[in-house]
Amino acid sequence: MTLADTEIAPPEPPRYVMFWRRYKRNRAAVLGLFLFALVVLMALTAGIVDPGDPLRRAGEPLTPPFMNWETPLGTDQLGRDVLSGVFYGARISLLIGVAATLVAIVIGVVIGALAGYFGGWVDDVLMRITEAFQTIPNFVLLLTLVAIMGSKIEWITIAIGIVSWTAPARMVRAEFMSLRHREFVDAARNLGVSNTSIIFREILPNALPPLVVYASVIMALSILMESALAFLALGDPNYASWGNMIGQGRAVLRTAPYCAVIPGIAIILTVLSFSLLGEGLNDALNPRQKK
Amino acid sequence: MTKTPPPVLDLCKLEISLPKGADRPFALEGLDLTINAGEIVCLVGESGSGKSLCAGAIMGLLPEPHVRVTGGAIRFMGEELRGKSDAEMRKLRGADISMIFQEPMTALNPQKTVGWQIDEVLRLHTKMTKSERKARALEMLERVHIPDPASAYNAYPHQISGGQRQRVMIAMSLVLSPKLIIADEPTTALDVTTQLQILKLIRELQEEEGAGVLFITHDFGVVAEIADKVAVLCRGELVESGTTDAVLNHPQHPYTRALIGAVPALTPPPVKAASDAPVVLKGTGLKKTFAARGGLLSGKRKAVTAVKDLTFELRQGETLGVVGESGSGKTTVSRIVTRLLECDQGSVELDGTDLLAATPKELRALRQHIQMVFQDPMASLNPRKRVVDLIAQGPIVHGADPKKAREDAKKLLELVELSPAAANRFPHEFSGGQRQRIGIARALAMEPKVIVADEPVSALDVSVQAQVLKLLADLRDRLNLSLLFVTHDLRVAAQLCDRIIVMQKGEIVEHGPTAEVFANPKHPYTQNLLSSIPGRDWTPPSLHADVA
Repeated sequence: MTLADTEIAPPEPPRYVMFWRRYKRNRAAVLGLFLFALVVLMALTAGIVDPGDPLRRAGEPLTPPFMNWETPLGTDQLGRDVLSGVFYGARISLLIGVAATLVAIVIGVVIGALAGYFGGWVDDVLMRITEAFQTIPNFVLLLTLVAIMGSKIEWITIAIGIVSWTAPARMVRAEFMSLRHREFVDAARNLGVSNTSIIFREILPNALPPLVVYASVIMALSILMESALAFLALGDPNYASWGNMIGQGRAVLRTAPYCAVIPGIAIILTVLSFSLLGEGLNDALNPRQKK
Repeated sequence: MTKTPPPVLDLCKLEISLPKGADRPFALEGLDLTINAGEIVCLVGESGSGKSLCAGAIMGLLPEPHVRVTGGAIRFMGEELRGKSDAEMRKLRGADISMIFQEPMTALNPQKTVGWQIDEVLRLHTKMTKSERKARALEMLERVHIPDPASAYNAYPHQISGGQRQRVMIAMSLVLSPKLIIADEPTTALDVTTQLQILKLIRELQEEEGAGVLFITHDFGVVAEIADKVAVLCRGELVESGTTDAVLNHPQHPYTRALIGAVPALTPPPVKAASDAPVVLKGTGLKKTFAARGGLLSGKRKAVTAVKDLTFELRQGETLGVVGESGSGKTTVSRIVTRLLECDQGSVELDGTDLLAATPKELRALRQHIQMVFQDPMASLNPRKRVVDLIAQGPIVHGADPKKAREDAKKLLELVELSPAAANRFPHEFSGGQRQRIGIARALAMEPKVIVADEPVSALDVSVQAQVLKLLADLRDRLNLSLLFVTHDLRVAAQLCDRIIVMQKGEIVEHGPTAEVFANPKHPYTQNLLSSIPGRDWTPPSLHADVA
């Protein structure tokens, strides 16, 4: 009565179905996804909601919210529309979040993968460099970089990426160190697969889940860092970013708090959406961690 | 007849439910089992048959509420255990019912000395004074034949060997003279020679104490060695039970027949005439030491020699077995000849080309001639690749047309008796035996001259093991493959290998045709190894059954 073990179990539902099933088990993560979708929608529809320059004068300065339907969320001290600022700001925040995260992840993956895969002196050298970066507080380094490179939006993005790659690098290194001794890596080597292919096509896909989760954290942090820069008036003044709005709203905080509070809420919700998203991804990608 | 004492353990229609979504609703269904004092009852079954949960149920250690006892009775000395409070169970555990676990390293607390851990049992359950407890612990260590009990008493678990750790576990579980001992695969993690000693020890102590033993195992050799009675479980159902002789030699139920039929017999294949086929793989003077990297201040530690001066020849179409216990360096050999591990000295000639002297580029090209089948089929298949890509990967790397390679991969799946429908699945969707078939197909895809198999069946259940071995033998004969077969299991080696090399501490102590080595071992180590095979006196009855 032993089953000949050549009969295959019935197929599982496709991966994305399983993924979604596990993801939606976490209610908070679904909320995160909803908020994230909302931010994306804001970024996409900014041009429709308010065609034209968000930095132009749209009405009487310091109109409170809900007083004039031309400017539903009011205007700031220069008469700029807060609503369109929030919508256009979503674009900048997302752009910076995604681009800076990419920069950080790419640097982190390359350094971490090389260090973790080869070990030995490669690891020693790369890890000393990483540690050198880690000993300088992120934000101080960011201020220095922006001070040197200037506050164009591209430079800010790259600078944020440069200050955030250390954590993903260490994480990828740890993953690689445990994965490189697995038998499937030996199996690939035994097939004559080159080191580059082993690193990027065999090991990396297995190291990705925790990285994807962490990417959401970096995204949230990048948005916060950009806002903090803008708050210190080091952001790119040519774009309506949430940080810029808070920075300028600070001047009228007592008389017209909404100028700073509304973009502040936008930042809070966006960052919250990323961290909830990350938590959901963690549950969905590492199903064994939690029941 | 006078009133007989109640049996030590009486399971009556025991039923354990599994959580929703498991492969079956009940882990155990209607299990009846009786253990009398002074009796060893073996509970045998393949993985997933529910045998370990049975032990958990008796001890009251099931992972409730997901898995719990839903019906039946567990009577210990006539007393019902179900429904007892935690406090009452705690009193029983250790004192009257004790357990020996599979992996003594994880069952012992690494932070405490051996003596402390034995002492703890006594402290919790008796009112002995400190000096009495120490005397008792030392006496127990003496009884389990630990050399120098006084120093073992002060040793930490990592300072003593695996076999000694299991002895300590046994000492701990017997220190209060329990009436029932549950042993859950106590020898599975041990080498054969150690295994035999532990089995003898359990038998000896159990006879002295007159305790009842529930011995859980998957190995029929062990059953033949130790059991008075046998119960066979199949997917939670008791399919057969009876005396050892009845079950082992005259199995009735088809499942039992299939299981016993799958146990490799210890009769090696007949000696083939000395082959004059060309030598395809030749190792000369191989040497490997592992230098332990010391810390900054601790200085250099002693290097460990894994393989010293190893020389062997493998001819076309032949199977060479490398056998030995853990630490004998046999796995290192498999890694050196495939150059997954750099060797210190010596040469490995593959068809006349030295593999160890090849440059990285030459090596990549040479690799297609020597392929490997790994021990753990789950770990050796990249979990994120589809089966077809896993198999086709090698040929594609070596320049085959990807489309054709994938077509060939599907044909290979048929060759290893898997449906081509498997091609687009991921490795986790298969059972262990199926994964190993995929691993074999991957090795075959390169059309290698030599296949190195490192314990390819030791992670598999016995019936699956027999199927995979049969497949390997079949393919070898059909494709005229040369196999370097590394194993710790002499039964498996007897099945497949034409010649064997016996290794001890990195050295070859004996080599020759399998039949000769088995019939007439010359080196004491080989003799010891062969006489330690569990159940060596029992030859599985040849069942002309339909063993698939």
